[in-house]
Amino acid sequence: MRPSRHFDVVVIGAGVAGLTAATRLAQSGARVCVLAKGVGSTHLAPGLVDVLGYDPERVSSPSEALPSFLDAHPEHPYATIGLDGIGAALEWFGRVVDAGPHPSYRYVGDLSHNHVLPTALGAKRPSALVPETFAQGELVARRGTSSGPICVVGMRVLRDLHASLCAANLERDGVAARGVQLEVDVGRAEANSLGLARCMDDPKFRATFAAQLLPLLHADERVGLPAILGLRDPHGAWSELERRLGHAVFEIPTLPPAASGIRVYDALRAALRAAGGRLVIGASVVDVEREGDRVTAVRAHTSGHDHVYGARWVVLATGGFTSGAIELGSDWHARETALGLPLRGLPGEGEPRYGGDYFGEQPMARVGVAVDSSLLADGTSNVLVAGAALPGAEPWREGSGDGIALSSGLFAARTVLEREGATAAA
Amino acid sequence: MTTLSTDVLVIGGGATGAGVAWDAALRGLDVVLADRGDLATGTSGRFHGLVHSGGRYAVKDPDAAKECAHENGIIRKVASACVEDTGGFFVTTPFDDPAYADRFAAGCKATGVPCEEIDPAQARLEEPRLNPGVSRAFRVPDASIDTWLLVWALAEGAREHGARVLPYHEAITINRDGDHVRGAGLRNNLTGEQVDVEARITVSASGAWAGRVAEMAGIEGVHVLPGRGIMIAMNHRLLNTVVNRCQMPTDGDIIVPIRTVSVIGTTDVHTEDPDDHTVLQNEVDAMLDDGEKLVPGFKQARALRVWTGVRPLFEDRKGGDSGSTRDVTRAHALLDHRERDGLGGFLTITGGKLTTYRLMAQDTVDAVCRQLGEDRPCTTDVRPLPGSESGEYLHINERLRRREETLQDDQLVCECELVPRSRLEDAARRRGSFDLDDMRRQLRLGMGPCQGGFCIYRATGILHGLDGIDSAEANSVLLSFLRERWKGVWPILYGDQVRQARLDDWIFQGVLDVGHLPS
Repeated sequence: MRPSRHFDVVVIGAGVAGLTAATRLAQSGARVCVLAKGVGSTHLAPGLVDVLGYDPERVSSPSEALPSFLDAHPEHPYATIGLDGIGAALEWFGRVVDAGPHPSYRYVGDLSHNHVLPTALGAKRPSALVPETFAQGELVARRGTSSGPICVVGMRVLRDLHASLCAANLERDGVAARGVQLEVDVGRAEANSLGLARCMDDPKFRATFAAQLLPLLHADERVGLPAILGLRDPHGAWSELERRLGHAVFEIPTLPPAASGIRVYDALRAALRAAGGRLVIGASVVDVEREGDRVTAVRAHTSGHDHVYGARWVVLATGGFTSGAIELGSDWHARETALGLPLRGLPGEGEPRYGGDYFGEQPMARVGVAVDSSLLADGTSNVLVAGAALPGAEPWREGSGDGIALSSGLFAARTVLEREGATAAA
Repeated sequence: MTTLSTDVLVIGGGATGAGVAWDAALRGLDVVLADRGDLATGTSGRFHGLVHSGGRYAVKDPDAAKECAHENGIIRKVASACVEDTGGFFVTTPFDDPAYADRFAAGCKATGVPCEEIDPAQARLEEPRLNPGVSRAFRVPDASIDTWLLVWALAEGAREHGARVLPYHEAITINRDGDHVRGAGLRNNLTGEQVDVEARITVSASGAWAGRVAEMAGIEGVHVLPGRGIMIAMNHRLLNTVVNRCQMPTDGDIIVPIRTVSVIGTTDVHTEDPDDHTVLQNEVDAMLDDGEKLVPGFKQARALRVWTGVRPLFEDRKGGDSGSTRDVTRAHALLDHRERDGLGGFLTITGGKLTTYRLMAQDTVDAVCRQLGEDRPCTTDVRPLPGSESGEYLHINERLRRREETLQDDQLVCECELVPRSRLEDAARRRGSFDLDDMRRQLRLGMGPCQGGFCIYRATGILHGLDGIDSAEANSVLLSFLRERWKGVWPILYGDQVRQARLDDWIFQGVLDVGHLPS
C-alpha cells in the first residue's frame, strides 16, 4: 500500500484526548491529521473536566490529593503524567476555550479545589474545571462562591432531568432546593437536551422561556436549568437569562446527549483547524503498515474508498471499551481493534472478569493498551496512546475522565515534540 | 393484623397458582391468592417462554406430549393475547443423530402432536439464519408466550370474579386445627404487616418451593427436585420461529423468539436450593456454542441477559437421591393431603410445566370441589382471559402500532421496548407499586439492549413525581434495579454489549453519580 498523503502525526480518534494531542502538535507546527470513525464521547458527556473526584472519598482539592493518589496507583495514567502535567493540561484547555468559537464562554477552576455540583439525581458531584455556566451550582459553601436556595427547573418535554427528584435529594443532603416544572412547547411530546439547546440558540425562545419562568422564582434563589444553554453562544444565552430573570443561573448535566459536551468538541475542533490540522470524521482505520517496530502508514476506510496516510508518528486515542476501541469477544479474548496492540490489566485465565456486585471491584474496568512511561505502546517505537485507551484507571468511578484525556493527550504531544526535537538536533 | 376469610387460599402466584385462582373464581369460589414476591417471579417468570407443541416430549415422555398438545390448543384460544403464534421447527442439524427424526415423527403421530415434515429448503426460506446443514425439518405448533401478561391476566380475571390478589405476601405459617388446615399466616414483605387468612381449603401452588410449604403444614416427603436451567436472551429476533434440535432433549437445543428477543435454553442441573441462581461460566460458554449450532453467527448478536429458573420436578418418595433431573417426569403431581397424609383442607400442586398450567389448575380445583363436597364444573378451557376475548394473537409489531397512534402526544420512557410514559404511570397507579423491577415485568421497561441505561433514571423521576415515593425510596428502587440487573448482565458481558454496559456505567456512576446519593 502506497500512502497518498503524508503527515508528521496521524491521530486516531476525535475525542478530547485525540483532539488535544492533535491540536497541541499542530500548534507546534507539525502536519497533523485526525482520523476518526465518528465523534467521541464529547457528544455524550457533559464536558465537566474531572481530574480526581473520589479517592475513594470525595476529594476537595485534587492538587492535595493527587500526590498520594499517584503513589498508591503506579499503574494509573496520572502516575506517568504527574501533577504538573495535569495542571498544565487544564490551563491549556482553558486557553483553547477562551479562544474558541463561543464568544466569551470560558471554563473556571483549577487543581486547587473541586467544584461540587448537582447531578440530575441531586447527588453532589466533584469536578475541577467547569464551564462558567455550571459554576453557580456550587453546593459546598466557600468564599466567593454562590450560595442560596436552589430552584431546579424541569420541563415535561425533557425526560432526562427530573427537577423534583433532583431537588428532593439535594434537600435531603442539606441544600435548600425545590423543583418546578415548565410547560415548554417544542411541537412534540419529547425532546432531549440537544434539541432544547438548539431552541435556546433562538433569542425568541429564550425570551419566552424567561418570561414563563420568572413568576415561578422566589427571591434569592439560584436557578438550576438542564444543560441546554445553547450550542452557538452559551455565554450570551446564559447571561441573557440571568439578566432577564435577575437570578443566578446554572446548568445541570442531563442524560446524554450533552450540548455542553458538544461545545468542548467545537472548541477543540476550531483550535485544531486554526492551527492547520486536518480532521476526517467517518474514517475507520482498517490496516497499518509497519517497518520493524514503527507504524509507517495507516489505511482508513471512508465512504468512498480507502486512503492511506503515511505517518512518522501515530497517536492512538480511540477510547476504551465504551467506544469499541477495545473489544472483548465471545471467546473472552480482548483486543485493541485499530492496531492490534497488546493490552494490560487483563484478568488471567480463570480469574474473574467482572464482580457480581455492581458497585464492587470490576477487574475488566482497568484494562487498556500496554504502554511505557512515555505512553509509547508496547512493541512500537512511534505509537503513543492517550485517553480512555490507557490502562489502570476507572474514570467513571474516580471522577477522572476528561482529566486523563486532556493531560494524556498533551503528554503524548509533548513526547512526539521532544523526540522530534531530539531527531532534528541529531 | 388483618384477618381475611375465604373459600380457597392459594399460596404461590406463578402460572399454576394464578391459574387455580382464576379457575376457582370462575367456579364461584371466594379466593385469596398470595405470593412471597411479585406475581410470576418464580419458575413462571424465569423460563424461555415456550408454549410446547408436545414435540419435545414426543419420544421420551408420551404422556407429557399428549397433555402439551391438548393444552397448546386451549392456551392459543383462551390466552391468545399473551401468545405469539410463532410456530415451531424441529430440525436435524449436522450435530444430531439422523436416526432420531423418524422416531420423532412416529412419536408425534402416536401422541397427537401435529407435525408435518417439510423440505429443509423451506425451513431455510422461512428462517434464513438457520444452519444450512439442516437435513430434515418438521413443522409443529410451538408458540411463545409472554408469561407476565399471562399470569397477570389470570390474576386480573380472578380479581374480576371477586378474588383478592396479594403479591409480596409470604406464607410464614400453615395453620392447623388438629388434622385439618384452616388457612395460613401471611407476612406482607413490603410493610411487615401480618395477614391471617382463614380458608376452607389451602392450596400450595408453590412449585419448586412446595416441599417447604408442606413442611410448614407438618408434612414430610413432598420431594421437589429443583432442576436449575440457564437461559440467555439475545438481542433481536434471530429467528421468528421456535427452533428445536431434532434429538433427545438436551442442553441448549431450543431458541424461542419472544417479544423483542430470542431466548436460548437451557441446562438442567440438580440443585438443593430453589433460590439458587448461580450461573456458571462453562454453562454460558456451552449455551453460546449451542446457539451457533442452530444459528451460525449466533454469538455475534448481543447477549442481553442471562437468568436461571428452577423446574419443579416432583418425586413422591422419601430419602434417596438421583443425580440427573432431566429424566424425572415433567408430569404434574396433585397431592391431596387428606388421602396421602390424613390432613384435610390442604392440597399441593407441583411439577408440570407452564404449558399445562391450566390443566394443573383444573385438576386442583376439581379436588378442591371434591373436598368441599360441591359440584362446580370447570370452564377455563373455553373462557377467554381478560384481554383475549377477540382471540387475536400477540404480534411483535403491537407496540410499534400503538406507538404510532400516540406519536405526538405521549412520551417514550423506554425507547428499546417502546414504553410510553402514560403506560408507566397507569401501571404504577394500578399496581400501587413503585418498584422498577415490578414495572420491568409489567411493561418490559429496561429489558431492551440498553438494559435500563436511559429509561431507569426517567422512570425513577416519573414515579417520584407521582407522589407515591419520597426521594429516599426513589434512590433505593433505582439502586436495587441496578444491582439486580447487573446479576443478569455480567456473566454474559462480551462484544457490543460491553460498550452498552460501559455507557450505562458512565451514565449512572459518572453523570448521575448514583454511588454518592444522600443516604
